[in-house]
Amino acid sequence: MRVQLQTLMLVLIGLFAGALIVGAVALYAGFYNVAATHQHFRPTFWLLQTGLRESIERRARRIEPPPLTDPALVDRGLALYHAQCTQCHGAPGFPPQLFALGLTPVPKNLAHAARERTSAELYWVIKNGIKMTGMPAWEFRLSDRDLWAVVAFLRELPLISPEQYALRVNGETRPSFPTADEPRKTSDPERGKLALEQYACTTCHRIPGVVGEQAPVGPPLDRIAARQYLAGVIPNTPDNMIRWLRSPQQVHPGTAMPNLGVSDRDARDMAAYLYTLR
Amino acid sequence: MTYKGFRMSRSDFVVTCAAALLCVSVVGCERGAQLPSGVTGNAENGKLLLRQYGCGSCHSIPGVAAAKGNVGPPLDAISKRVYLAGVLPNTPQNMARWIRAPREIDPRTAMPNLQVTEGHAQDMVAYLYRLR
Repeated sequence: MRVQLQTLMLVLIGLFAGALIVGAVALYAGFYNVAATHQHFRPTFWLLQTGLRESIERRARRIEPPPLTDPALVDRGLALYHAQCTQCHGAPGFPPQLFALGLTPVPKNLAHAARERTSAELYWVIKNGIKMTGMPAWEFRLSDRDLWAVVAFLRELPLISPEQYALRVNGETRPSFPTADEPRKTSDPERGKLALEQYACTTCHRIPGVVGEQAPVGPPLDRIAARQYLAGVIPNTPDNMIRWLRSPQQVHPGTAMPNLGVSDRDARDMAAYLYTLR
Repeated sequence: MTYKGFRMSRSDFVVTCAAALLCVSVVGCERGAQLPSGVTGNAENGKLLLRQYGCGSCHSIPGVAAAKGNVGPPLDAISKRVYLAGVLPNTPQNMARWIRAPREIDPRTAMPNLQVTEGHAQDMVAYLYRLR
């Protein structure tokens, strides 16, 4: 019995030491790719998402939200949200700034997050921020009342149509900076897949084969190659797909899908990937 | 003896950990947002109506026989979708409005007005809001 146990302990210690050495070699050799263009592997993504969700839930458990329905509080929240949050998170029909699309993890769509999260959880995240994600802590930037004002607005956000949002911010639009790139005749579905990550498409759509949040803000893109209409309004042809990806607000005014400054080449490559989804 | 005792408690510990992990993962899967208020219709009737009105010729709808259309978007987990038709916040009331008069909400939509009655629309909404 004792011998068996000792052997087992030795094997365990050996395995542990081996793992340490392999880990150290991988670490110092720079094997881990930190590029934001290199999305996490699916299991890593799941692990991080799960850890994030559980951590937030645990810490928000004891927070008691004040009443959040006062219209003045909601308006204050809208003003703060529009000034400080849309750069990364966008709003219905209103795009984030270009830099935010290149972040990994890409900032979430908050109309979806607000439907899934409690007020206490939203408050905790805004107040404390989230390490290693780009989400800043607002505790030392906003008063407690203003933190709750943003939560009050977020409670309403999923019920605001793109049209209503535009009215409430007096029709303000984000200046666009169309990407200039040399037109190409060929398209590259693999590059298109990367472009779908890099334009934050998975913050609103489920796209088979692309790792990301896959939030159901808009329709899932499974079998999109064979879908007959795009956005419910134009026939699904390659040219229309490219037009839709580049200027959704022109193709379907009032749509929640914002203009993201997609270049012709990137739209062509995205379409090439999407047309592999049969 | 002490070794044996140690081993026992360790295996207990492992079993406890495994059980705890299992519980956490089950709880994790079961959790979700609360069902929005305002769903009043009869879901079973709604399922039948979705078939009767031919919704499945344009939409794939889980649980509805032969509903495998790919003209418009799939309706799986439609209760969690944030916008309907890309323009309308998804609430039970808005969904019923959309089903009854799509072209009043979006004049350019390919979705036709199928003369759905208010009661029928409410039943369809009750079924669609079950798709989570």
